[in-house]
Amino acid sequence: MADRELVQDALHLQRGAIAIVDPDGNVTWADDAWAALESQTDLPRVPIGKNLLEAYRRHHEPIAQAVGNAIAAVFEGKATYFEIEHRASRGSERSYLTSAAALRGDGAGLVLIHRVVSGGTRTNSPLPADTRTPSGDVFKRLTPREREVLEVMAAGLDNRAIAAKLRIQYTTVRGHVRAVIEKLGASSRLEAVARAYRNGWVTKE
Amino acid sequence: MSGRAGAVDAPVFPVPSHVALLHYGEAELRPAVLQFMREAVDRPDEALFCFGEPGVGERLLRDVEAQVGRDLSADRRAGRIVVGQSDPDVDQQLENFVVPLEACRGRGFALVRFVGIVAWNVPRFPPPEDFLWFESKMNEVIAELPVVGLCPYDLGRIPARAIAYGALETHPLVLSHGLLRQNPQFIPPDRYLRERLLRLPWLEDESVM
Repeated sequence: MADRELVQDALHLQRGAIAIVDPDGNVTWADDAWAALESQTDLPRVPIGKNLLEAYRRHHEPIAQAVGNAIAAVFEGKATYFEIEHRASRGSERSYLTSAAALRGDGAGLVLIHRVVSGGTRTNSPLPADTRTPSGDVFKRLTPREREVLEVMAAGLDNRAIAAKLRIQYTTVRGHVRAVIEKLGASSRLEAVARAYRNGWVTKE
Repeated sequence: MSGRAGAVDAPVFPVPSHVALLHYGEAELRPAVLQFMREAVDRPDEALFCFGEPGVGERLLRDVEAQVGRDLSADRRAGRIVVGQSDPDVDQQLENFVVPLEACRGRGFALVRFVGIVAWNVPRFPPPEDFLWFESKMNEVIAELPVVGLCPYDLGRIPARAIAYGALETHPLVLSHGLLRQNPQFIPPDRYLRERLLRLPWLEDESVM
């Protein structure tokens, strides 16, 4: 893979270069990669947050698999660096950097920067079903107790404190918190809280 | 807040305290962390708690064993040395942190030295926003405990946002090149949720629709 040296040089020089690794390990480099992405119409959207690898691998498009392979390579210590710019779920507005990890320091890997620019007229892949639901409907999925738990999660309480405040078992709280995260289509506790504030589902003090 | 003296050239940490250790690579990490850990090993009234991704705490402990030149398995069996691991579920990670600390308190140790090796956006660690919440929450957890927590942030590996939002905004103290300083960037945990977590760029932009 002759381009590997170029990629490593770019990393060394901190030029912010763009490279894409396809599932066969081929590298598309710099401007070509950018142009390829700009013309791509079937880029997947993935939820922000944990386990990007699984998120990408749930999609079957070659580009998603390529990103997944690159992430796996970093986690397995076979690659040195990756940086991914996701498209926001509100993809027509703007894109942003969500992940920049991890210089493993072994000098053996590839740079992968998957840059997705939102806006314009590009056709987007559909969002996962749970995040396509309008926000009000999402909140209605919560039981009264889960809404109560969400309220105290939003106040910053941890599960032990929630259990004490609501006078319920810790394990019960855990179940409620997990249900809240899942029903709101969030990928983390804090993402659920952020959504709750943004949509006015919790009281602002 | 009382202080606990370290070795002659070691920083004196207030008790309790939560300290971000800023270092560049293993070469800078090892001396600072091993010295910190060794002091617990050498003092029978102290406990040591090593924490990180699965395997990381064990590796730290092996490094200490190599430095002190003896097997520490008896101390582990006695609960004086504890190894804990991260979890992608932040609530479980908080339990993995709190339960051993409470056990150490129950055993009456004068001080618990905690070392938590920081990672960012990796599979066996909470997602970044949850990890930041955890880091901030640590301040509340240790507030009434005899704990000195040291969280190494590798400037060569950890993204800038982790340094800015994590190391600098969730730790009241910063240790860099042997110098322990109050951290003016610190945001107390009761304000961190509103002032930072809800303003994280990737959470502000992400939307249900």
